[in-house]
Amino acid sequence: MLTQGDEAKVERAPIVVGKRKTVLETLTSERYIKWFFLIPLLVVLGVFAFYPLFYCLYMSFHEAILIRAPEFIGLENYRKVLHDSLFWMSLGRTAHVVVVCVILEVALGLGIAIFLNREFRGQNTIRGLCLLPLVVSPLAMSLMWKYFLDPQMGIINLMLSWIGFPKIAFLSMEGVALYAIMFMEIWKWLPFSIFVFLAALRGMPKDAFEAANVDGASSWFTFRKLTLPMLKPFIMIIALLRLMWLIRIFDPLVGTTQAGAGTETLDWYIYRIAFIRFDIGEGATLALIALYMTIIIGVLLYRQLIKALGAAR
Amino acid sequence: MAKAVLLKKTLFWIGVAILLFVFVFPIAWIFVTSFKGRVDIMVPTRIFFIPTLENYIYEFYKMPLLREMKNSAIVTVASTALVMAVSLPAGYSFARFNTGEGHLLFFTLTTRMFPPAVAAIPFFFVFRNWGLLDTHMGLVLLYLYFNMSFATFLLYGFFREIPEELEYAAMVDGYSRLTIFRRVIFPLIAPGAAITTIFCLIFSWNEFFFGYIFTRTVARTVSFGLISHWGSVVVMWGPMAVGVGIAILPTLIGGWFMQRFIIRGLTFGAVKG
Repeated sequence: MLTQGDEAKVERAPIVVGKRKTVLETLTSERYIKWFFLIPLLVVLGVFAFYPLFYCLYMSFHEAILIRAPEFIGLENYRKVLHDSLFWMSLGRTAHVVVVCVILEVALGLGIAIFLNREFRGQNTIRGLCLLPLVVSPLAMSLMWKYFLDPQMGIINLMLSWIGFPKIAFLSMEGVALYAIMFMEIWKWLPFSIFVFLAALRGMPKDAFEAANVDGASSWFTFRKLTLPMLKPFIMIIALLRLMWLIRIFDPLVGTTQAGAGTETLDWYIYRIAFIRFDIGEGATLALIALYMTIIIGVLLYRQLIKALGAAR
Repeated sequence: MAKAVLLKKTLFWIGVAILLFVFVFPIAWIFVTSFKGRVDIMVPTRIFFIPTLENYIYEFYKMPLLREMKNSAIVTVASTALVMAVSLPAGYSFARFNTGEGHLLFFTLTTRMFPPAVAAIPFFFVFRNWGLLDTHMGLVLLYLYFNMSFATFLLYGFFREIPEELEYAAMVDGYSRLTIFRRVIFPLIAPGAAITTIFCLIFSWNEFFFGYIFTRTVARTVSFGLISHWGSVVVMWGPMAVGVGIAILPTLIGGWFMQRFIIRGLTFGAVKG
């Protein structure tokens, strides 16, 4: 005896595909379509991400200078790098830049964002103008500031001389030049943290603040207990993105100090080893070490990004 | 009371003025400087001077600026077109099917964080063997690598905003996945794709490291050309100001029209500015 369900089965059964599917049909079938869309990306990833990774990994175990055939030397490159005081110094400088820039950008950015967090006339124009440094090419920026910071005809030195300061060769003085680089970086990226914080402040739920207001909480208390915790994911995103970008700081050095005056950062050091000395083995080793550091940050950042994207949905 | 409000307002506008001065004045000053003659340029604060085009004439006729602009434009546009061809389907796949359960998307994103030397070292030798050094093609490929992960991740965010129900409706109507992508999804992603495109254009135009290592004369980009303005002794400040101004003008215009999306783009879509 047939039940209703069996009847339905019998009716569906005759739908059988007679001819074999073509490759394109198979690829675009419900099962493989998601991989079909990914084919171009996977090809590019294979060529431009996996191949260089394995090349660098291979070279890091070899002595390879210029075009001489690479010679296997085990971990010698790693030993050399880890005992290299220039490497540690460049790493230390990079860390110095990262710490100063991230702290100042977050602190100043938050302060200015709170200051700007109100409706005022012309706010869109002012916002648009303040965002402009973000799209200025880092190299053009470095040349711009080379001109402004020049000891002879720089406008900054001229202004300093009005208030009685001596002329300072910002970009060629050991100990000052690195701060000049940080200053340029902060100039370019401060709008970023300002407007991330401003977007965050504007997106905050109003009722919590009204409740705090009714309860007579002081504004400092509200800031510490309400605003700051709500801003935490945004602080994380700014800090991690900037960390990621600052680790590879290179362009601002090109137009200004050319890594002189104690400003050689990690990426410049890698560049010098790999493309000026053409020591590919050591260069690859350094590049991989830089990569490992960024990947650790990347894992943290990715979690924050996905969390933020999920919350925004 | 009214006095206090007025004072507060005045202080606020003074603050805004300081902000504008800090962020806009340096950019504006470079454009002003580019019109200064040889003598005026020695006095950085001189605001009133007779503008001259001598720096522009020098840049356009004596320096390879025009060719460099053409090179940059070719490489920028071509690589962006390729990036979109790769990233649109990929972003869709990640957003709709969660392909690779997030691991593949993560790996794609990490390529953006690779220190540039990781790719530059191997490809320098590959390109030398294939004759791609100092060619447009070589740079286009590198910029494809450089922008692809960013574009994919940003588009992933835009695709996620499109409700799945729309696709179900189209599937009920009997459309295939490919047709749905073309006819239903594509018109909806167009604004997001436009934003992503402009970002890729700006990033490629501003890119320096790969251009510096992989080009010499033929395919030299604008950014690379800028650093040829100073020799060991003299810096040609006037022509340099022209070069800087022209190098940043396209991105300033792009940035102005994109202002609502800059924060969103730079945070990979996590913060809606």
